[in-house]
Amino acid sequence: MLFRIKEHPVLEIPEVRKFNIFYNGEPLEAYEGETVAATLLAHGVKAFRRTERFHEPRGIFCGIGQCTDCIMEVDGKPNVRTCVTLVHPGMVVRTQEGCSGENEAKHDNL
Amino acid sequence: MITYDVVVVGAGPAGLSASIEAAKSGCSVLLLDENPRPGGQLYKQIHKFFGMKEHYAGSRGFEIADLLFARAGEAGVKVSLNTKVWGIFPDGSITASGPEGSIRYKASLIILATGASENALSFPGSTLPGIITAGAAQTFANVYHVLPGKEIVMVGSGNVGLIVSYQLMQAGADVKMIVEAMPEVSGYLVHAGKVRRMGVPILLSHTIVRAVGTDHLEAVDIAELDEKMQPVPGKTERVPCDTVCISVGFSPRLDLADVGKCRIVYEPVLGGMLPWHNENMQTSMDRILIAGDLSGVEEASTALDEGRMAGTYAAYKLGRMKKEEFETEKAAIMKRLDILRSGPFGSRRKEAKKSVWEDRNFGT
Amino acid sequence: MEREIICRCEEVTREEIMDAIRMGDASLSAIKRRTRAGMGFCQGRTCRKLIARILSAYYHMPVSSFLPGSIRMPVTPISLGELADLKDGAEEEGGERK
Repeated sequence: MLFRIKEHPVLEIPEVRKFNIFYNGEPLEAYEGETVAATLLAHGVKAFRRTERFHEPRGIFCGIGQCTDCIMEVDGKPNVRTCVTLVHPGMVVRTQEGCSGENEAKHDNL
Repeated sequence: MITYDVVVVGAGPAGLSASIEAAKSGCSVLLLDENPRPGGQLYKQIHKFFGMKEHYAGSRGFEIADLLFARAGEAGVKVSLNTKVWGIFPDGSITASGPEGSIRYKASLIILATGASENALSFPGSTLPGIITAGAAQTFANVYHVLPGKEIVMVGSGNVGLIVSYQLMQAGADVKMIVEAMPEVSGYLVHAGKVRRMGVPILLSHTIVRAVGTDHLEAVDIAELDEKMQPVPGKTERVPCDTVCISVGFSPRLDLADVGKCRIVYEPVLGGMLPWHNENMQTSMDRILIAGDLSGVEEASTALDEGRMAGTYAAYKLGRMKKEEFETEKAAIMKRLDILRSGPFGSRRKEAKKSVWEDRNFGT
Repeated sequence: MEREIICRCEEVTREEIMDAIRMGDASLSAIKRRTRAGMGFCQGRTCRKLIARILSAYYHMPVSSFLPGSIRMPVTPISLGELADLKDGAEEEGGERK
């Protein structure tokens, strides 16, 4: 949690409800009102997925839902833009491999 | 299905101002925005604005966003947030996807205030996690109170690069340096001064030539550039960092204007391709007006006044405002815009805007 | 050439774009058809200007000759369900839809 800003010279950091989301099975503390991307970055997670062609790691780029670099599998749905998706308690987030969920990638190998 | 007098796309300073002016004159106004909160770029601005009271000098960006939103509500503007406009048709239909599903709205006039988006930069390794736009860094730091990283290199010394560097330092990050490809700082010297006093060096005529790392960014190679903007051989230094912020300008988000068949012209001073428009913010399509960064990348203050101009003209065009009142309002707005577009930076934008209005760029 | 990704969505490299240009491609559309650059999720929003600059440098023509490229509706991704479900905006008195 080294990346959460606790004190700020100008901004008031409000107290909000906290709950867990799950990242590749691991519980992470999330703050109500934040995006999945913010939660992951707060915990030092930078690589959100691996690309289809070169299997390169990708994370945040534009941060406003335009570039789609930050897509992950969220609650079973692939290609979810984590920088514009708000967290909810118990959300299940997984590293996305390629263009679709892990399960679909398995079918591609048949 | 009701036809709104005006549908405004984008609830940033331009869209909010346009909605308020149109509604105040008795137009039925629907304001749509894809984000969960209104304010556009304003909601992540934490510094105090300066200038005139009409531009909310002394207030912070997010305060201005809240104020404008409240005023829009008071004026009777209907708002639909989390609503992405995806289509625009010659009969005045606008199709959008929102919390209530997919809806087609009808408007007599449409005001597009979709703003501008940050430009990308490419170099070997530029897709590594940790390389983000300055705007993204600003959103994480100022809205979600999360540092995107601890050791940051900023690319670009325009106002956004300078201000975001300052804000990241305020938030507790270490901005190791700002690299600027040109031989001089692109932004206001007042911002450059602030950032230098915080200990952030600005390296002019320098750029990133590669980024390295395995699972995420670990370092960048920074090269000095010669007069032809080419890396000087042997003058490359490796700088360890976990984050690079890219701030190399904005481009108007003209997709809707383009599919709406508005004529697009080229004006590099204002961000490149943008919809042609005149002083009244009228595009080449009779039903479509524009305002704010979409009409040329400038500032929040110009967006506010251009929004007022578009909203006022819309009311006049629809017969909700008498000619005399319109001319008076327009004169006041144009006078303020003229003042905003002064000084070494402003006058270039003034010339560029005039060039667009007077349509000197035939053939683009 | 070190690998430099130009189209982030489809992972098209600068080298591939240069190859396409050398084969005669002189527009965003032509390059898109050959390399897939601009066909991915963001539909060229991120790489449009980068490719235009490459074309501009090669052909010694202003970037405006190559922009804005062909943009089509929907200008933002929507699901087929949303497209099928398109309804007319209802009559409503006042209030705010969030």
